[in-house]
This record gives sequence, structure tokens and C-alpha cells, in this order.
Amino acid sequence: MAAVRYACRDGWRLIVRHWGMSLLTIFTAMSVFFIIGASTLFVLNVKNIVSSLENQLTIQAYLKPKADAKATEKAIKELPFVKETKLITRDMALERLRSRIGEQAKAVMLLGENPLPESFEIKVKNVSQVAETARLLIAIPEVEDIVYAGRVAEKLARVSSFVEKFSIIMLLVAIAASGVVLFNTIRISVYSREEEIGVMMMVGATSTYVALPFVIQGFILGITGALFASLLLGGTYYSAVTRLKEMLPFIPLIESTRLTGKLAFMLICCGATVSLISSLMAVEKFIRKASKPL
Amino acid sequence: MEIKFSGVTKIFQPDIIALEDIYFQMEKGDFVYLVGETGSGKTTLLRCITREVVPTRGQISVGGNLLRKINRFNLALFRRDIGVVFQSFLLLPNLTAFENVAFVLEVMGLPPREISDRVSEVLKLVGIWRRRNLFPPQLSGGEQQRLSIARAIVSGPSLLLADEPTGNLDNHTADEIMQLILGINAAGTTVIMATHNEYIVDTYTHRVVEIHRGRIVRDEEQGRYELHGSC
Ligand SMILES: Nc1ncnc2c1ncn2[C@@H]1O[C@H](COP(=O)(O)OP(=O)(O)O)[C@@H](O)[C@H]1O
Ligand SMILES: [Mg+2]
Repeated sequence: MAAVRYACRDGWRLIVRHWGMSLLTIFTAMSVFFIIGASTLFVLNVKNIVSSLENQLTIQAYLKPKADAKATEKAIKELPFVKETKLITRDMALERLRSRIGEQAKAVMLLGENPLPESFEIKVKNVSQVAETARLLIAIPEVEDIVYAGRVAEKLARVSSFVEKFSIIMLLVAIAASGVVLFNTIRISVYSREEEIGVMMMVGATSTYVALPFVIQGFILGITGALFASLLLGGTYYSAVTRLKEMLPFIPLIESTRLTGKLAFMLICCGATVSLISSLMAVEKFIRKASKPL
Repeated sequence: MEIKFSGVTKIFQPDIIALEDIYFQMEKGDFVYLVGETGSGKTTLLRCITREVVPTRGQISVGGNLLRKINRFNLALFRRDIGVVFQSFLLLPNLTAFENVAFVLEVMGLPPREISDRVSEVLKLVGIWRRRNLFPPQLSGGEQQRLSIARAIVSGPSLLLADEPTGNLDNHTADEIMQLILGINAAGTTVIMATHNEYIVDTYTHRVVEIHRGRIVRDEEQGRYELHGSC
């Protein structure tokens, strides 16, 4: 018990004595865990968008310029899964465009005539029918093109899976980098006490006793870095979400505090693990060398 | 603690024979002077006992422990029962005299109250209680020597290894140090003292083991200092 108290006091002393190095280590750990957290949030959000897009039951079918809207509507209504259809006239389309991009929509009118095609908004009953309905719609001669969320989602999903793979590699590199920095910091403080450790081992200190202050030092540095990263990330993320929501209200962003809380918890655990492992490795390596008899 | 060397040879890289075919035995509570010229192997022999040095050949057993076999944890426990007065003191310059001694007991995990009691007691015993808050560089040679003895005996070890504990001290101070060590021996601690001090060896006569070029060339009860190996 006294040993643990001694080790905590000593771990703290080590941090204070090498304060420049400690700050640098905390800063590195913080940057690494911030990057890890930020890319996790990015991937989670993309996934969230993908799944919300996939769940949209609407298909937009654009008509050829000379197509007969009435006849087309009839053809569409005969398709098996169609629940409802709604005609979007050229004027309505222009109106929508205007509400989305504002005054710039006027540019479209510079050509003289409204160039937007007529279209139908088609709803199906459930998600599994979207792709099949899309295939049938494109077969209708009057239909020029179709757009549905699933198709966007597919593309987005492909991007997201690439980002995911890439960020996993990045994460491993980042974690390794923070591990190396922690390892070196601990090694430097171990060497700064080489003499003391030598005497300690001569008077019968166990390896655990020798190692503990350094492990505590590393642990505090790693945890502090991860904690700061979580706070910074939380602040940045929520202010970014608030702004994005004003700018792009139709994009569903994750706002659940439970999820971000979990992420912070994960980051801190990760910081604890990395710092424990790297400081243990640094001290153990030294002790093994120091306790090797001549 | 009983000690037994059987055919111990230590060769340092590449080919320095520091100890050669040492047979040596002592019983619990014994007192032995280890004499021999500089470089004869006295320090190496002491370091074999603390297992800082592992012999190239031969077996060493100390207090029933076969040192070749001992693991890291048991070595730590084993060393707690040995007090060492190093030739170069090895005091920690950034700790006070008091802390240098308390350190040993902290390592053993004793409660703070007991540590402070025992350290105070031993600092009074070696006569540097009034200097307890000074750092080693602020102490005289004799005081540093006393401090390193205090550190060696504070845990009440069964074995005391003293490597030239009166080196560089005048006869008067050497006498006082010697009184201390003899007192510790009288209380039951086994003592091996490597020394160059002819005056001490001839005044406080005990068993003398002489090493010459890594070999034991003399081992006599109530011996005198005069080196035989060199003639
Ligand atoms: N770590 C070492 N590496 C190489 N040679 C050593 C080492 N320690 C001692 N020696 C050599 O072993 C011999 C005995 O040294 P030592 O035991 O220190 O003698 P003493 O203490 O009697 O003066 C010397 O020749 C010394 O140079
Ligand atoms: Mg020597």
C-alpha cells in the first residue's frame, strides 16, 4: 500500500521534472487521439447517411422532352410495387431548385426557356422493392433517366468503405506513433534515474516496484492526452454539427450524446492501453538490461 | 548467513581472470577481512555474493540460496537481507542523508511511521543525526562513509559486505567506523570487509583471507595484514 502511494507520488514527480517532455507527449497523444476520434465520427456519419438514404422509398423518374405525362403515369401505375405517383411539372421543378440554391436559379432561365424536365416522384412500399422498380421504370420508353437514393447510397457506401479501410490503417499508424513517443518519453525518464534504479535494485527493490512510477507516469500522460482529445473533439464536433445543420438541413448527422460519450470512453481506454503497454515495455527493457549480472 | 564458494572462477571479457578456483566458506556470525592489492579481485568476490557478477565456473551458495538458479523476484528478496557498503558509496546526490537511508525501507514497503523511526535510530547510531537534512555532496568523506553504513544496516541484514569502508579515512575516524561494524557483527550479523587498512586489520584481529591475482593465497584465523602474495 505504501509502495503504491510512493509510486504515485514519484510518477507525478517524474512528470513535473520533465515537464517540457511531458507536455510534448500529452500533445502528441492528444493529436493522435483527436485524429482517431475525428475519423471515427466521419465514418459513423457517412454510414448513418448511407443507411438513411437506403431507407428512402422515393424514386425520381425524369421524362423525355416530348413524353406524354398522362400516358406515362398510367404505365407507371401498372408496375407491381408502386404505391403512389406524383407529377412534378417544370414549374414546380424550377421552384424547388430556387428554394434549394436561391437566386442563382435565375441563371437557369438565362437560356430563355425553363430547361428542366418533367418528372414523377414514385413511392414504393418497402426498401427491397426500390431497385427492382427502378429497373422496370427505366424500361418505360418515355422515361429518360431515374434517380433514387439507393444509387447515391451505393456510391457513398463505396467511398465510405474505402475511407474506413484507409482510416483503419491510419489509426494503426497513429496509435503506433503515439506508442513510440510514449515509449521514448518513459525511456528518457528511466535513464534520468539510472543511478537511482541501480541502487534500488541493489537494496532489493522488486522489478514491479522499480517499474511502477514510470508506468504511472506514462499512464497519466496517455490518459491526459486522450481526455483532452475527447474534450476537444466533443467541442469541435457539436459546433460543426450545429453549423452544418443550418447549411445542409437534409443531411442526417449523428447527435446522440450516448454515441459520442461511448467514443470518448473508447478513446480514453485506448489511451490507457497504449500508454500502459509502451511504458511497461520501456521500463521492462531497462530493468532486464540493468539486472543482467556481469 | 553462511556462505560457500566452490571452485569459483570469473573471467571477464575478453580474458581477464578476476577470480580463479575460489573455495571459501564462512558461518553465520563470522567476521572476515578480505585483503589483497588493488585489482586482486576483492570487489569481484563481493559482487559474486550479491549476484551482480555470475561466475564463469563454480557454485556459490549464500544463506541456502544457490545463486546460479535464483530468479529475479527472489534475488530482490535475497538482497534485502544483505547490506552493502560500496567502495564508491553510491549515495544518491539528490536525496538528503535521511532520504538516502529511508529509501531502502521504502523499497521494502514498510509503513512511513516505522521508516522514520528506524532511520532516526540508525542515523543516531552512526553519529550523523544532526546532518540528516544535508545532501551527500555537503558531507565530509567520513560522514558519507557513515551514511553509507547507515544505509547498509538500516534494514537489519543478516550479512554485511563492506568494500574498503575505511578507505581515505584517518585512523581516528577509521576506528569509529570499525567500532560500528564490530558492533553490528557482535549483534549477529555476518560481515565480510574488504580492506587495505593495515592498522585496522592488525588492531582488531580476525580471520584474514588474502587474494592475489584472483586466487586465495592465505586464509588464517587471527591473521595479520602483511601481504604474502606479493613476495
Ligand atoms: N566489469 C569488469 N569488466 C572487466 N574487468 C573487470 C570488471 N570488474 C573488474 N574487472 C577486473 O577484474 C580484476 C579484479 O578487480 P576487482 O575485483 O575490482 O579488484 P579489487 O577490488 O581487489 O581492487 C581487475 O583486473 C579488474 O580490472
Ligand atoms: Mg575493489
